[in-house]
Amino acid sequence: MTENEKNYIDIKGVSKNFGEVIAVDNVDLAIKKGELFSILGASGSGKTTLLRILAGLEIPSQGNIMIDGVDMTALAPYERPVNIMFQNYALFPHMSVFDNIAYGLKKEGQTKDLIEEKVQRMLSLVKLEGYDGRKPNQLSGGQSQRVALARSLIKEPKVLLLDEPMAALDKKLRQSTQFELMDIHDELGITFIIVTHDQEEAMTLSDRIAIMEEGQFVQIGSPNLIYENPKSKFVANFLGNINLLDASVIEHDQNQIVINCKALGGKLSLYDKNDFDQSEQISVGLRPEKVMIEKEAPNGEGKNYVKGLVEDFGYFGNLSIYRVRTESGDIIQVSKQNRDRVEQSIKWEDEVYLSWENENLMLLGD
Amino acid sequence: MSGILINNNNSLRENLWRHFIVAIPYIWLLLFFLAPFVIVFKISLADPIIAQPPFTPFFSQGENGGFSIYTTFDNFFYLFQDSLYFVTYLNSVKLAFIATVFTLLIGYPIAYGIARSPQPTRNILLLLVVIPFWISFLLRVYSWMGILKTNGLINGFLLWVGLIDQPLELLYTDTAVYIGMVYSYLPYMILPLYANLVKLDVRLLEAASDLGAKRWQGFLDVTLPLSIPGIIAGCLLVFIPAIGEYVIPALLGGADTLMIGRVLFDEFFLNRDWPVASAVAIVLLLLLVLPIVYFQKRQAQDNSGVAA
Repeated sequence: MTENEKNYIDIKGVSKNFGEVIAVDNVDLAIKKGELFSILGASGSGKTTLLRILAGLEIPSQGNIMIDGVDMTALAPYERPVNIMFQNYALFPHMSVFDNIAYGLKKEGQTKDLIEEKVQRMLSLVKLEGYDGRKPNQLSGGQSQRVALARSLIKEPKVLLLDEPMAALDKKLRQSTQFELMDIHDELGITFIIVTHDQEEAMTLSDRIAIMEEGQFVQIGSPNLIYENPKSKFVANFLGNINLLDASVIEHDQNQIVINCKALGGKLSLYDKNDFDQSEQISVGLRPEKVMIEKEAPNGEGKNYVKGLVEDFGYFGNLSIYRVRTESGDIIQVSKQNRDRVEQSIKWEDEVYLSWENENLMLLGD
Repeated sequence: MSGILINNNNSLRENLWRHFIVAIPYIWLLLFFLAPFVIVFKISLADPIIAQPPFTPFFSQGENGGFSIYTTFDNFFYLFQDSLYFVTYLNSVKLAFIATVFTLLIGYPIAYGIARSPQPTRNILLLLVVIPFWISFLLRVYSWMGILKTNGLINGFLLWVGLIDQPLELLYTDTAVYIGMVYSYLPYMILPLYANLVKLDVRLLEAASDLGAKRWQGFLDVTLPLSIPGIIAGCLLVFIPAIGEYVIPALLGGADTLMIGRVLFDEFFLNRDWPVASAVAIVLLLLLVLPIVYFQKRQAQDNSGVAA
């Protein structure tokens, strides 16, 4: 086993309940050194509690946590090689930017010169040179976030925990900050664990994502893997847009499966490794960008298509989104890249043909 | 045109209304603080006479029919000549200061405990802090006499336990005054401190802990500096009434417990020297107001420094 393949963070059987409420329910997770890992979930899914357990701010009801081979479970926050960046930054309002960033080193009892040097280096890392004398209430949201980041990085923790790091920033700033955060991660090589409810943020930032629901992980994998192969309807819906269409299984043998999906024009036969029962009710998932929309019926042998009427149409510049009501009465959402610089040819109430490749259909149980 | 006029009228009326609302507290202060102060100040500039009222009038009709104004600063000079007053002022400040320090030392942990307790308990604890106000202040001080006297509760208990074999002299000492003051003014310390401490963002303490601070370090670095406004408010609320306190030293203190409130009372009711009593009051007021104004100004400067 090489250094990189060992589990750097090992969470085993961790649970946390607050009275009757189970916030984290018997969770196992292994994270590798230097990984940028996201925990994605709706509010109340237990993701922040798990992060606080890692920081030592909550004590797990059960289970244990190892970081770099050392059992952390019983250690106080100030004894862990872990730092956290809080959602609202929690900057000390009575201290200057310099004192905020230096706080961790001061508690370590470092010399004045070393503190000065390291704080200046951090300030240049987060591009806030010259701001050392300011007070937190003199900073913008983006600047506060950088100070919080610098403060949590200055002790060079083995793991940096980030609780909704971008939630308080506006959209434009969020995008540029995401890339800066990735640069800092690459530069320092520290393992990052990010908790977020923003799927876009999780997808752009992370090496791997864990999707959390009701205190448990429902799927863990790379953004690409989870997007293209969601395990359940919940995951498919949570990560990106998807059309979920009712269907039933007609025949199932080996890898070949025949389903009946009214919205997609009836019988379809495709390959799928899922193990469904005969006549089981399932959902067919189809991502909007994987549907072709045309005004003429697509020709070609064995091509699957359905006819429909454009009910709604949204123009976003780079792409257009259509909501099409098929002959069966179902709504299918389609997104189309606007590759050519022409006037939109498909508009409201137009009769259109939707086609797709069968391999892009996902069969999802409940 | 007319529309604009109506608008102007409306805004004018709104403006008047706003001025009126703002004026209410000023009118109140004018009537009940400034006016009595002016009267007291006027009396302090008069000479005592045996008459009704017992001081010379401010305005008097001269021989040739014109009005003349009579003022004298003798009363103030008198205060500086007789060392009794200086010693008494100093002693009042000392007693009030020590009482304030003890109130802070006892009140801070209580306020902190209440602010950190869960919601339903918190309300009960706050109620317990306020409940003594429902009993007359005088009665409560009297009951301390019962507790502190030679054959009172404390001595009785200590004798019964066997810690002492003759009763301690507690009542009619400075110690009794301190006990009475700390007891009486504790709620005034706890409430502003509580109001400050309950606002403290717990995540700041978590952040400190995460960055390597032990609990006591987190308290010293975060909680304590952020509670300074509460400490100042509480200390002023205790120190100001304590310095002019009359009832507590009169009932619990000894003959040698010199406090300005007592001197003021004696001048007023025993000597019937209203002008000197008024001068004592004015000097006391200046003694209190000047440092407070200074503090306020400094705090305002600090705040504007942060905002700039």
